[in-house]
Amino acid sequence: MNMNTQNQNGYMLLFRGNDWTKSLSPEEKQKVTDQWMAWFKRLTDDGKAIAGNPLERESKIVSGKNRVVSDGPFAESKEAIGGYFLLDVASFDDAVAIARECPGLPHGVQVEVRPVAGECPIASELKHEAQFAHA
Amino acid sequence: MLLYRSDEWYNRLSQEELQKLINQNKAWFERLTGQGKAKPGRALERTGVTVSGKNGRFVMDGPFAESKEAIGGYLTLDVETIEEAIAIAQSSPGLAYGGSIEVRPMADECPLDVRARELAREEQLVNA
Repeated sequence: MNMNTQNQNGYMLLFRGNDWTKSLSPEEKQKVTDQWMAWFKRLTDDGKAIAGNPLERESKIVSGKNRVVSDGPFAESKEAIGGYFLLDVASFDDAVAIARECPGLPHGVQVEVRPVAGECPIASELKHEAQFAHA
Repeated sequence: MLLYRSDEWYNRLSQEELQKLINQNKAWFERLTGQGKAKPGRALERTGVTVSGKNGRFVMDGPFAESKEAIGGYLTLDVETIEEAIAIAQSSPGLAYGGSIEVRPMADECPLDVRARELAREEQLVNA
């Protein structure tokens, strides 16, 4: 993917991994927590982070025509999302540079970096189709 | 928080179906915001990278747009119980076409802090 992409709508960091703290001692855990909070505070003070939240482990999935409710994704999943930051930075490069500062990375956390869409991708799809139809 | 997970199922809909769904979605969201139950959500582009490893040395493309698990956007709800959040997720117009919605309580406090406190307390008990 082109790293020089600009996006005026900002970027989202999704923190993936839920079981990485198991191997840490209480002191190590406290240290990572303090680093993480200081990191978020610095980004907020710099005006680069506009929102962020951890998510509780409790989780339900709603799916299908019948709107079935089931448990999951499980807290043990390496892919499970533990929290997010919403970044107000202009380029993909800046967002990835910030992701690389994540204090959880040495312990196995993965950070997904995603451009925020200006409009719903479903609506853009529709416009695209309409263009083709009139061409 | 509602996390929308799906592949690009909307590419399989006709223009009429899409327009109908967009209108339903808009009405659904306006009703929720009108009731003070939802804050503005965001859609995410179907591109991105995943950073991992010490000092973030691995930068890989993905998650892939074709994945049914990929997150397409989110909505923040201001409701008191997970039951109410689930009920709202169930009323989402897009569910009939595919994909799923993950419902997650937002934490007041980082789970790392909570776990560190628990461990410290256990240690105190052992030493007492």
